[in-house]
Amino acid sequence: MTSPLLAMSGIVKLFPGVRALDGVDLDVRAGEVHCLLGQNGAGKSTLIKVLSGAHQPDAGSIRWDGDDVRLPTPIAAMRLGIASIYQELDLVDGLSVAENVFLGHEHARYGVVRRGDLHAAATKLLHRLGHGEIPARHEVGRLPTAGKQIVSIARALSHDTRLIVMDEPSATLAHDEVANLFRVIRELTASGVAVVYISHRLEEIREIGDRVTVLKDGRTVATGLDAKTTPTPQIVSLMTGRSIEYVFPPRPDPTAGRRAQAPALVLRVDGLARRGEFEDVSFTVHAGEIVGLAGLVGSGRSEILETVYGARKPHAGRVLFNQEPLRPGSVTAAVAAGIGLAPEERKSQALFLQQSIAHNVTAAALPSYSRFGWLDRVRELADAGRQTRALDLRPADPRRGIRTLSGGNQQKAVVARWLLKDCKLLLLDEPTRGVDIGARAELYGLIRRLADSGVGVLLVSSEVPEVLGLADRVLVLREGRVVHRADARDLAEHDVLDLVMEGTHAI
Amino acid sequence: MAQFGTDRRRFLVGGAAVGAGALLAGCTSNERPGGDTAGNRAPGGDNAKPGKEVVIGFSAPAADHGWIGAITKNAQDQAKQHEDVTLEVTEGTNDVQQQISAVKTLIDKKVDALVILPFDGKALTEVAKQAMAAGIPVVNLDRIFASPLAYRTWIGGDNYGMGVSAGNFIAERMKEAGKSKPVIVEVAGLDNLELTQQRSDGFKAALKSHGLTIAARQAADFTAATGQKVAAQLLQAESTIDALWNHDDDQGIGVEAAIKQASREDEFLMVGGAGSKRVMDQIKADNGVVKATVLYSPSMSSSALSLARLVAQSRGMNDLVEQEIPTSITTYSAVVTKDNVDRYLPVGFE
Amino acid sequence: MPVLASLRTGMSGQRRPPADEHTRVEAAAAEAAQPQRRLVLLGAAGEARSLGLIGVLVLLGIVGAVTAPASFLTTSNLVNILTTASVIGVVTVGMTFVIIGGGIDLSVGAMIALASVWSTTLATQSHGLGGMLFSALLVGAGAGLVNGILISYGRLVPFIVTLAMLVSARGLAEQLSNRRSQIVEVPSFADIALTRVLGVPMLVYILAAVCVVGWLVLNRTTFGRRTFAIGGNPEAARLAGIDVKRHTTLLYVLSGLCCGIAAIMLTAQTNTGASTHGQLYELDAIAAVIIGGTLLSGGRGSLVGSLLGVGVFTTITNLFILNNLSTPIQNIAKGAIIVAAVLLQLRSRAASP
Repeated sequence: MTSPLLAMSGIVKLFPGVRALDGVDLDVRAGEVHCLLGQNGAGKSTLIKVLSGAHQPDAGSIRWDGDDVRLPTPIAAMRLGIASIYQELDLVDGLSVAENVFLGHEHARYGVVRRGDLHAAATKLLHRLGHGEIPARHEVGRLPTAGKQIVSIARALSHDTRLIVMDEPSATLAHDEVANLFRVIRELTASGVAVVYISHRLEEIREIGDRVTVLKDGRTVATGLDAKTTPTPQIVSLMTGRSIEYVFPPRPDPTAGRRAQAPALVLRVDGLARRGEFEDVSFTVHAGEIVGLAGLVGSGRSEILETVYGARKPHAGRVLFNQEPLRPGSVTAAVAAGIGLAPEERKSQALFLQQSIAHNVTAAALPSYSRFGWLDRVRELADAGRQTRALDLRPADPRRGIRTLSGGNQQKAVVARWLLKDCKLLLLDEPTRGVDIGARAELYGLIRRLADSGVGVLLVSSEVPEVLGLADRVLVLREGRVVHRADARDLAEHDVLDLVMEGTHAI
Repeated sequence: MAQFGTDRRRFLVGGAAVGAGALLAGCTSNERPGGDTAGNRAPGGDNAKPGKEVVIGFSAPAADHGWIGAITKNAQDQAKQHEDVTLEVTEGTNDVQQQISAVKTLIDKKVDALVILPFDGKALTEVAKQAMAAGIPVVNLDRIFASPLAYRTWIGGDNYGMGVSAGNFIAERMKEAGKSKPVIVEVAGLDNLELTQQRSDGFKAALKSHGLTIAARQAADFTAATGQKVAAQLLQAESTIDALWNHDDDQGIGVEAAIKQASREDEFLMVGGAGSKRVMDQIKADNGVVKATVLYSPSMSSSALSLARLVAQSRGMNDLVEQEIPTSITTYSAVVTKDNVDRYLPVGFE
Repeated sequence: MPVLASLRTGMSGQRRPPADEHTRVEAAAAEAAQPQRRLVLLGAAGEARSLGLIGVLVLLGIVGAVTAPASFLTTSNLVNILTTASVIGVVTVGMTFVIIGGGIDLSVGAMIALASVWSTTLATQSHGLGGMLFSALLVGAGAGLVNGILISYGRLVPFIVTLAMLVSARGLAEQLSNRRSQIVEVPSFADIALTRVLGVPMLVYILAAVCVVGWLVLNRTTFGRRTFAIGGNPEAARLAGIDVKRHTTLLYVLSGLCCGIAAIMLTAQTNTGASTHGQLYELDAIAAVIIGGTLLSGGRGSLVGSLLGVGVFTTITNLFILNNLSTPIQNIAKGAIIVAAVLLQLRSRAASP
């Protein structure tokens, strides 16, 4: 075999409080499909960003076609022939297929785009991908997701690309569309283009992959494994057993005296379904209990949470809160009943970034500080202050702008909001995303104390150890269905990984 | 429980809204009992005899002002006086393109004569020329076209003369009151219109001939709201005023309101412009700040219609020796005072 | 480690902490109450983001004192400026709420025209003063409600909805009035503009009342707090259990109501109801709000700033008329001041993060 097209070695990337990459090696040969495996937080996304020029590594070297290179900007990477296709496709919906393919390097003369040339060239690329049926003049916004992905790939090829990074391209595709994508990938590799393929689905890796590199804790733990023959247990065990041990708070002893009575049922979900997202989901959450939902992106976990919360309307099934049916599709009803949500995208879904910590914390509980709409601001500030101190939120001054806080402290403010509202069920969607390691342990302790005080917690996390360490009971989701449910103590990390990746494991 | 409360509140609010809506709906009527047609007159002499049946097309700007409203109404009323005339009125518009297309429609209908008050004389000259070329005589009302080829006859007011009349009247009154250096202020109309400049020029020139000057001038835009706003500020700027000329009686409603709000009704003489019925009534009753108004009467529209009829029927004017209608007629801007108001009341516009 | 119990002492008023913690809670409340006073000052300083505007006003004052020494710096002129500002000031209060809430209302001028015409038809005037006031307020609030419902529940863009209202409300006003000025024949209605208390016209008191109520609602009530929240991050507001649609609807109703009040004031002031009333008020109000330091994208803003903005514009007009200068120069000056004021704010914001 010839020397690799791309050789990254000893790549280190530091973020405040985290070593996101701590010495990663990766080599990719021309014409191969190189699979990148690793749990969430293992460093895959960061590595891709370094490769595509979006992040600058703090140490390490990148060799491209035998030469040492630097990738200061995404454009520099593109010029070398490295293209990335993200899950959120960065296409302009209002422009035509051809215009998207050549966006930024249109065939133009004196600023006038020559549409004829543009369409001809785009059609040629689409034919090369075996998708001549996509009309070059068609508006991209009207294409299905699979079609958009093809346009993204065509765009990558329009730059004389020699390496394409695909980040979970199958997560949003239907089954036959995946088969189609694989055909395209095979045609690409046949013409000498290398593909770095990221997926959690082992069966896909077996089908399309040539070699596998496994990341864990920002390091390469194995590289050059044969994608077809390496046994599943070996791959799973490489991915599991992370060296960074999170400190999880102890679970309460179920035999203890104060649990003599069965805890009250807080939430009961019966046969909940949303077309194309999840089907027939049923479970319960009791007071003082943490129930974890484990699953990949696209498994329906966040959607289930949002449906319980009323932010989405179910097509079938019902949600009972404290034995009472909850009005479907009404956040207001859920909040009034005593449910709180700490959403996945903190900044865009939970925080009022222009406001103070206090105003963020009291946002849901305002009616309890007002009489005929008139705010008792002294009591409001006092309570916000007490709550932030109780959660050890820093800085402690509740009048500070929330914008200045770290991710962990912002998350605490969101939790504080629901504590002030006196909620009985807290829905946590990726509560530790963007939170550094030190603050994580603190958040875990906080969540457990909340449960101990009688709140029911429904937790979603893509980090398997987090779900296993924190939850009392775990539901494993795969493609919108509950494939397994068990006591967290009876589950091992590799069982869960196996379930979410292949769904064949029988325990 | 909370939900029940909200629902009931919603219901109550809804009920109140329906009730209020019904009540409001009853408040849209503007019918005043009775009603008269001002300043229209049946033709006299030979011209009274019906001639050949003619269709006259009429196009004017949007009636967003009392004066323009009266122009359209007067034309319609005048048409009713002639049994041989059918009037085709197009929807009034302040959009030049729209007025051009309205006139084109009338040309296509092959009307016998056109009466046009252009929103902008220059912009409508071409289409008026087309009408003339198509053999349709155009009676140009008030705002004049850029070329004599665009009209058969022009009839309109004398904006410069209006200013002169106002200036002379005020100068006389000042002399009678023995004021040698009176403070005279002017509330003009929309400054973008040439007619406003002409009125102001005439006013200034007439005052100058009597050795007087204007202390302050501000332009409003023919609406009551701007009239009030500008006048309120002018009154603030000039602590004593002897006479005020306001170009337009419609915006005068606002000017008068501002004077009343400043409690300065008895301090000075106010002269209006155009000649609305409201102001004439006030002059007659002698109970307001306006003591006179300078005519710029929309009765010219009635005249224009009569002229169009005569032109279309190839007749002349009875009292003139000419066999044909003259090419231009300028109306006179008389000053309406308490002494002669009865004579002009019929042409006062609503 | 914080005491677990304190985690759950959500609302101090509803859940009494155990006795031993009682004092601690009170101390905390006191501790929080003291910086509260500082907070008020801070708030004032926040309002003084509009310091630049005060500077502009002072500058205009100096220009006025120099160019029109006899007439500018007099009590009666000050009252005159305030009276002139009263109508647009009331409109601007409503506009400030809408813009902070993340919307825009282009229909204010047209709503004024419609309310003024509706309240001065002969049929309405036959109901006397009460009927006229009631119909003006109801027409304003009703038009605002239509705006709000279309925007919140019809999911249409505020710009489009209020643009449509701008066109159609003025159309309806023209239809009702037949494009004539409708003279107010109820003397007690005209008295609204004629009455003076302590030498100051009633209109100024109305403006003051609307401003005070507006400021209190914006800064001291849940309604105001939610307005900021919805304007800053509507999705987060929705997920925090705030009924964003209902609140947004109410914001437009509020704006419409302010237009109803403004219509009463303008109708009394001009003694007429006319479909030409309130022309371009939307631009004046939006300009005042923007130079007052409110973000056009919502979530941050100040009522005091907006009113200073109105003050600046009105003073310019006053200055120009006192000096007998023409309108075109006024407009040039206004445009320049909009740009200058916003630049000043950006700079002062950059200087003090």
